[in-house]
Amino acid sequence: MTKSGAPSPWRDPVVLLAVPAVLYISIVYGFPLLWLLLKSFSGPTGPTVQPYIAFMSDPFNWRVIGNTLRIGLWVTVVCFIIGYPAAFALARAGAVMQIIMLVSIILPLSIGAVVKAFAWQIVLRRDGVVSQLLVGVGIWDEPQRLLFTEAGLVLGAANIFLPFMILPIYSVVKLIDPRLSEAGATLGATPLYRFTRVTLPLTLPGVVSGIAFVFSMSVSMFVIPSLLIGDRFQTLSTLTGRSFLLMRNEQLGSTTAVILLVLAVSIVVFSTWLARRLGGST
Amino acid sequence: MIKSKAIVLNRRAVLAAAAGAATVALAAPRIVRAQSKELVVGGAASHKNFVETVIAPVVEKKYSCKIVFEGTRSLVNLEKMQKNKDKQYLSIVMMDDPVMIPAVTEGLLEKLTPAKVPNLATLKPGTVHMDGMWCNYLQPWLGIAYNPKVMKTAPTSWAEIYDPKHKGRIILPSLQNTEGLANLFIASFLATGKPMAEAAKDIDAGFKKLVTLKPNLLTAYTQMPQAYNLLEQGEGFMISSAISQVALERKGTGAPVDIAAPKEGIFSMPSGVALVKGAPQPELAAAFINEMIGTEVQTKLSAATFSLPTNKDAPVPAGMPTGVTIHPTDWQAVAAGRADWVKRWDRDMAM
Repeated sequence: MTKSGAPSPWRDPVVLLAVPAVLYISIVYGFPLLWLLLKSFSGPTGPTVQPYIAFMSDPFNWRVIGNTLRIGLWVTVVCFIIGYPAAFALARAGAVMQIIMLVSIILPLSIGAVVKAFAWQIVLRRDGVVSQLLVGVGIWDEPQRLLFTEAGLVLGAANIFLPFMILPIYSVVKLIDPRLSEAGATLGATPLYRFTRVTLPLTLPGVVSGIAFVFSMSVSMFVIPSLLIGDRFQTLSTLTGRSFLLMRNEQLGSTTAVILLVLAVSIVVFSTWLARRLGGST
Repeated sequence: MIKSKAIVLNRRAVLAAAAGAATVALAAPRIVRAQSKELVVGGAASHKNFVETVIAPVVEKKYSCKIVFEGTRSLVNLEKMQKNKDKQYLSIVMMDDPVMIPAVTEGLLEKLTPAKVPNLATLKPGTVHMDGMWCNYLQPWLGIAYNPKVMKTAPTSWAEIYDPKHKGRIILPSLQNTEGLANLFIASFLATGKPMAEAAKDIDAGFKKLVTLKPNLLTAYTQMPQAYNLLEQGEGFMISSAISQVALERKGTGAPVDIAAPKEGIFSMPSGVALVKGAPQPELAAAFINEMIGTEVQTKLSAATFSLPTNKDAPVPAGMPTGVTIHPTDWQAVAAGRADWVKRWDRDMAM
């Protein structure tokens, strides 16, 4: 729907502003990715899909894919449940409070994942804070260990990725005029109706970016699972890491890396599409 | 115009000066090198300290030469030799035994002979490999590390970790870590009762036994600091198949860690040294290895690294196990089977 007389987007000189980014991404990301793709399809005698067939025909590898997606999904769900209301609180807070909240969300990002994972290791121990708390309030009868369990991994990873859910939602919520909801109320809409019909659709773009960030980071995390759940729980990225670093099996490594990439990209694309369907134009 | 000419001149001058400086910088080390014999030793980054403080001073004094140590990883050393096959600059490589095998296959190593390295004759049996292609200069040993605060009596047998009372308290190295391999051999030994050398071949029996350890497992680690962290905090009670060097270093800093040598015997970690084929200073390189496995260096080296000497005549340092069988590892079998073993480990040991 370009207005007649408006410059074609390709002739618009503003497009040139993207040149440095495009160059940078192509060199450090695009070409290596292409190389990885080619590697995964190249056999000793020429192009082949054999590595994929071999990978997919092993039931253990389906378990690995299942592990990867399940953990990614849980981390995203936990981040969303905690992050969505937090983004509203952040957007609607007063100036000073907002600064304090932003700093407390952004500052932890400067601490490396390794340090945080080590800290979680202490928190999730049998005599750690979580276990003591749950025994204290009577949910557990005796101290239990959350470390090296899937629940522990989800808790730890959600903590590390939470800012990537809050910040995109916050940036959208900030732009929503609070009077929209009030207008709905004056017209007799219930709070639930106002939320589902006004607020939620307006925040969907932020939610989709948050989900895309958190999901793609949690399916590809490597250090966090190796510290919080160990070698007995393989995911696609730990398998990729091991193939390259230990087994020197570049083909297996490239195959698992491509599968991970395809899975992550398709889920992100699908969720964006779904959000557009649900929320109209986003 | 004058200004721009001046700039051109300046640029030329700068270029000329830079080229001159580069020539001097490149030529200088050669001149220096020509003045004294220099021997380049490739090894692991963690070897740097003992090579430079224990081995190099002895060799440098005796042969009036200079030892240059390049610390990296075994596989990188292998790549360095592969890439410089026609013009090697490393004279000696210190690498993990499993990495020595491809180096031998590719013809990168020069055989050690008693004529070149007389001290070879003084080495313990099982420490000279593939007919002299490389030898072991140390035996860091594998035992059971434990936390003496939670384990009032030290473990005496490898079977101890299977005791149901240690539910969720045992830490194993992943099979992808070299120190993890011993657990597989011991498991087979415990299950079959065969002599260790034979049991180590029965990998299937080993896995079947290892699987029964799952209820007792706290975790299988790939990052060693994490394992020690868990042990020292008391979340884990024992690390089965722990490296003496690491455990005793932690103990030395006052951490609640000790290591026991079980009655069934202990294993040694890889620690190979070899001559690079077609390398500079071959006589000096042979002399370096000869000193390295000689009594004087071995005595100092084993104490400094909490390991066992490979030289029969060197005394076992205080605090090290004596009279315990040291089971050799068949690294060729490891190299051939490891990828499949790791695959099976993933499947059998998964949570």
